[in-house]
Amino acid sequence: MQKMLNEAQIDTDIKAISQFIRDVRERVATIVVGQDVVVERLLISLFTGGHLLLQGVPGIAKTLLASTLSRAIDLSFSRIQFTIDLLPSDILGSEILDQRTHEFRTHKGPIFTHLLLADEINRAAPKVQGALLEAMQERKVTIGKTTYPLPVPFLVIATQNPIEQSGTFELPEAQLDRFMLCHRLNYPTPDEEKVIFRRNMQLGIHREDRGATARTEFDLIDHEPVGSSDQLVATIDAVHRVHVSDTFLEHVVNLIDRTRVHPAIELGCSPRAGIALIKASRARALIHGRDYVVPDDLFALAEDAILHRIRLNYEALADGLSGEEILQGMLRDIGGENKPTDAVIVDS
Amino acid sequence: MIARIANTKSLAVMSATMLALIASSATGTSAAGQVKYEAVVGMPLRIEQIVLPGSELVARPLDETNRPIVLRITGVFPHGSDYRYDLEFYGLEPGTFNLSDYLQRKDGSAIGELPPLTVEIRSTLPPGQIEPTTLESVRATDLGGYRTWCLIAVVVWLIGLPLILFLGRKSKRKDREASGPLSLADRLRPLVEEAMAGQMADSRLAQLERALVVLWRNRLNLNDMKAADAIVVLRQHEQAGALLRQLESWLHRPGGGQNVDIAAILAPYQDLPADELSLSPQHAGTVT
Repeated sequence: MQKMLNEAQIDTDIKAISQFIRDVRERVATIVVGQDVVVERLLISLFTGGHLLLQGVPGIAKTLLASTLSRAIDLSFSRIQFTIDLLPSDILGSEILDQRTHEFRTHKGPIFTHLLLADEINRAAPKVQGALLEAMQERKVTIGKTTYPLPVPFLVIATQNPIEQSGTFELPEAQLDRFMLCHRLNYPTPDEEKVIFRRNMQLGIHREDRGATARTEFDLIDHEPVGSSDQLVATIDAVHRVHVSDTFLEHVVNLIDRTRVHPAIELGCSPRAGIALIKASRARALIHGRDYVVPDDLFALAEDAILHRIRLNYEALADGLSGEEILQGMLRDIGGENKPTDAVIVDS
Repeated sequence: MIARIANTKSLAVMSATMLALIASSATGTSAAGQVKYEAVVGMPLRIEQIVLPGSELVARPLDETNRPIVLRITGVFPHGSDYRYDLEFYGLEPGTFNLSDYLQRKDGSAIGELPPLTVEIRSTLPPGQIEPTTLESVRATDLGGYRTWCLIAVVVWLIGLPLILFLGRKSKRKDREASGPLSLADRLRPLVEEAMAGQMADSRLAQLERALVVLWRNRLNLNDMKAADAIVVLRQHEQAGALLRQLESWLHRPGGGQNVDIAAILAPYQDLPADELSLSPQHAGTVT
């Protein structure tokens, strides 16, 4: 009887959480066309407390997406454009001497927010990247002699432009590892693009006093939030109650282990990759209305959790192989239980 | 004949005494034969503004291997019907030499009468100095020469490279063939039997699930598709989708295993022909 009551309670919880997630996604969809997978990855990061790295060309609504999501759940949002001359204090904050009182007062930087969009993170110098990544991991910032905790939840959504490489500082593997997921953005489909254009044409103008200006998609964001922080907390809590079977753990261990012994991979995944994969799978399961994970979650998230954590060796690069090809080969091969050494045999 | 002598290193004009010793005569009458320029072996010496009769002179080309004097004309200036010269020379062997012997007419005519330009080259080595043993050229053993060796290297490379490539691939292929055919049947059969017997470790259960997914990817020819997309297609398939849902309940859903008839869902996979389950190299994850 008690068990039945518990199951009924879980079902009710999941229904409520599913409704909350659906509301958020619908709100985002009113502003941003398509990008369902990116929205899902954003929600996964938000629900698990992991950070997200988005790789993609400019102009595919990354800022709009993050801004819309933060507004939909009533979270604060900041955006920092990373440039070569950015200093750690520009992000974290600094102590400023008040000329009137002759005392130092703390000026908190834009990192003190719930959602932080670090645009083009690879444009800043390594010490700035290091300062941000340290704060991301420790979730606190020290200014002067005082340590300040960052708001909860705290999520960094960093972007990288994979095409422009001049004047950039590539994030090393150790720092990339701190991002729970790295998602590669794609252009919208032609149908989605048509909708984007039509919506943009209907935006009209914004009048104020005697002036006027063309409206942008950002002007549409100003709606009441559809979710509260309580709902968010409940969802975060529910993610931790999603069941992970031993069989699923075996799948994860097998996949992670394969990255370490694969002949084409020089640097395999750390245990952090496995942790990220399981955490993200739990959140994805919840988003899909399940209270348990299935191999579908593993397959869907493997690229985002693993690709930025592996480094191919010279032979693989010389053969023109990509990390994506090798990972898909491993996922294809995983059921065959072949030795990883058989997984990549390049025949010309 | 007016001449100045200078050491090229310092470029200082030699003393007036030396100049006085040099007789000057357009006709060549003087005690020219007595004038001596002295130098040490290997050290260059300059004679500047010396007038020599006749048409223009040039230094004789260095066509002798054991020539004791090296002479060159550094400047030529018209001087009436004659020419003034700046000469530079150095001796390679001690002795007394006449620089006129190392000149010739530029127009190819006979050199005619030239005042002797006597130079004495002194050695700084003490008398009786033992000279080093003269080097004798020895003919090396004839091994065919450079071109022959290049040719041999090219032939060896042309023969050896294909051998390395083909023998290496053959041995790789042999290794793969020796490791057995990539058949799922051999792997799936014991897994299914263990599962039906109800005695299976989590790692074996995971292997079973993965093997069944691969089996259906092979059957529906979804190996070129990404794993995430393939699983979506499998879920929509009537038989594969039903199997995945049953496996999901059995292996992943908390308490779901009680409602699953394991024997019934695995029965179709108990005795499948091996050829259906064999994985072609492409399907095994080979990247070509």
